[in-house]
Amino acid sequence: MVCAKSRVLVTGLGVISPLGPDSVSNLESLLCARDTVTQVESFDVSRTRCKTAGQIPDQWMEDAFPQKRHSDRAHRSARMATMALREARESAKGPSLELLIVGTTSGGMSYGELYYRRLLAAQSRKGFARLVGNYMPQKPVSDALQANGLRIPMQIIANACSSGANAIGHGFELIRCGLYGCIACGGYDPICELVFVGFDSLQAATSEKIRPFDKQRSGMVLGEGASFLVLESEESAAARGATAVAEVVGYGTATDTFHLTQPHPSGIGPKLAMQRALQSAGVDPTEIDYVNAHGTATIFNDATEGCAISELLGDVQVSSTKSMMGHALGAAGAIEAAFCVLALREQFHPPNINFVEPDPGWRFKVVANASRRASFRFALSNSIGFGGANATLILKRI
Amino acid sequence: MKVFVQGIGAVTPLGPSALETWNQLCQGHRAPRKMMASRLGNRDYYWCPVPGKYVSEAARHPRLRRSGTVSLLGAAAGFDALADAGLKSLPGMKERMAIVFAICSGGVTYTRRLYHEIVTQGAQAASPVLFPETVYNAAASHLAALLGIDWQCYTLVGDSSVGLSALHFAAELLTVQPELDRCLVVGTEEADWLLADAFTSWRMATTKDFFEVYGTPSGTVFAEGAAAVLIGRTGSILLWGSSAGQSFFSRRDSAAVAVDLFGKFLTKMSPDLVVSSANGTFADEVERMVFARLLPAAPVYAPKPAVGEALGASALFQVVVAALCLRLRQIPGTLDAGPKLPTLNRQTRSHSGTDAMVTCVGFSQQINAVALKVCQGTAD
Repeated sequence: MVCAKSRVLVTGLGVISPLGPDSVSNLESLLCARDTVTQVESFDVSRTRCKTAGQIPDQWMEDAFPQKRHSDRAHRSARMATMALREARESAKGPSLELLIVGTTSGGMSYGELYYRRLLAAQSRKGFARLVGNYMPQKPVSDALQANGLRIPMQIIANACSSGANAIGHGFELIRCGLYGCIACGGYDPICELVFVGFDSLQAATSEKIRPFDKQRSGMVLGEGASFLVLESEESAAARGATAVAEVVGYGTATDTFHLTQPHPSGIGPKLAMQRALQSAGVDPTEIDYVNAHGTATIFNDATEGCAISELLGDVQVSSTKSMMGHALGAAGAIEAAFCVLALREQFHPPNINFVEPDPGWRFKVVANASRRASFRFALSNSIGFGGANATLILKRI
Repeated sequence: MKVFVQGIGAVTPLGPSALETWNQLCQGHRAPRKMMASRLGNRDYYWCPVPGKYVSEAARHPRLRRSGTVSLLGAAAGFDALADAGLKSLPGMKERMAIVFAICSGGVTYTRRLYHEIVTQGAQAASPVLFPETVYNAAASHLAALLGIDWQCYTLVGDSSVGLSALHFAAELLTVQPELDRCLVVGTEEADWLLADAFTSWRMATTKDFFEVYGTPSGTVFAEGAAAVLIGRTGSILLWGSSAGQSFFSRRDSAAVAVDLFGKFLTKMSPDLVVSSANGTFADEVERMVFARLLPAAPVYAPKPAVGEALGASALFQVVVAALCLRLRQIPGTLDAGPKLPTLNRQTRSHSGTDAMVTCVGFSQQINAVALKVCQGTAD
């Protein structure tokens, strides 16, 4: 069977991140290069090297659920997912969603942490059932569906830090092939102690500012958030008179089997993913104007991704928006795809802040420290995760 | 597009392969229950472990030397499915094969150990060796490395129905990617006392060594295990229908959701047998109500009393059993059968059916089903 190739339009977008509770505030933060990385307060960081993260204030999410009972029970990641999904649906103006595809890495992990701490302290088991029931990664998604009045199937992808991009990429392929007309795709991930300490234990997290692609980069900081895109076939969008804000044109994946956490030094993982996305899009590498890089600012990631971008895309404009808000793991690919949509719509290159010293080994140009007005058609977004999970999305201006 | 089951694999407490497990099921054997002591508190739990010798071959791979049990089990089941299909991990196969893993709890033992270190010794003591193995896609990544697959590799997470979602996802990959020949779908689960503790707190697990299905719900007994289904574009058992599943938001509306979802399958097929997810919890009653309404005559087999509830692996294991029922024309007898479902198959017997349905009511608000059909053919 050869799939029909339908155009896949982005007709709605919702995002909540440390940069803001909605897409308008995220856009404003991107344009003014806001640094939202702050001291971690929600758990003890006295014994970790890294002490900062991009965090979403709880007060932004107070009204996420219409029912207080639901709100009291649910994990805060459910609030994130609910808000981002709601904004995506509202901005798409009544899409007939058929499926929800979501990427995540840790779900309601902090409830699992709380469970264990209470067990260790031999506390009463009161409330334990609530923690277990809301701990699993599908529950915040189910909560988001319920709060949005939706009863549609969901698929939850956990491909580490590529999860969000994989969710959008899979949705793109399903619509392009004609299997679905309208899908909400994205990701969510909240900060939690176990993952924070885990990255610290790998010495991947920094005690300094996060400086992607800087010669003096010293590691990542974590972030959190949620984002959803409403993807729609051209036919579905036309039938209901929906306005598209961008188009998804390409998706590629690659599995780097070199090591569970370290990428192959040659950059073969991101390079293969980008090549496959370009092939999927039918776009020449010279047509890519802007890359929203995975850019975690770790020595290994930036070295391999930088090498792959240089080799494949030459002197393209590159930024890592993680420099402003940290790495939102399973949500990162979805949030960064949303940023690409905003950048294409508003015609600017988002900034790579905290950038001081270029690495002479790379040919691309870092969008250093401030956003820039630009006229461009194609944006490419990379995601790279543990397990050698690489994913690339290519988006096009409408 | 037609998608076929090409190979099946499993590693369970009853056997190191799908076929050996099947033979045990047909002979009415039950996996041994062992005591699993809680390290915190006073509770003890029963579980069905997989003997270490069943994964000894997988454990010899250098890539898996420090991996968690969940990865070892997944790799062993994956290799069993490839062997069942007559495939070896040959060069040339890898370019055209994808991997999809179904995960529920993931590397729970390493996760617990890592967090225990953090809480009791401080963050500076956290092991950098443990953390990577706690990531949900670690098992899929390891198997991809062992098979040399550098392209499509996904991990789906969910409740005990996630295997059916993963199978549907894999079928979607074959549909949208003409370059793919086949997809290996693997569900895997390791047991840990913390998991049993949590599910007991949630009133889903029993502290006894026994549970009855379609009787009075008292909670389930956990198991380790893995199951794998290799799907492709040719074969003799057609994946006739699959679904991404459906959510229910309360137990009250679970039966209505199940009737709706299962009903969509039944408008186009009439299964000769059903392999159900009954596990001694509320799920049994949901299934019983739906079967009574929609499937009043089809014999039902519930494998979990024999092998235990292996969460991430269990739904795919049901598919393995359904495929073997069709292939070998037998249906095993359900152990520890309660009185509430008259169509429950209680004795192993032969049958001549060609259509099977697998149903799953998950712990955490997910319902799903797949349908298999004996059929010779190739892709459209």
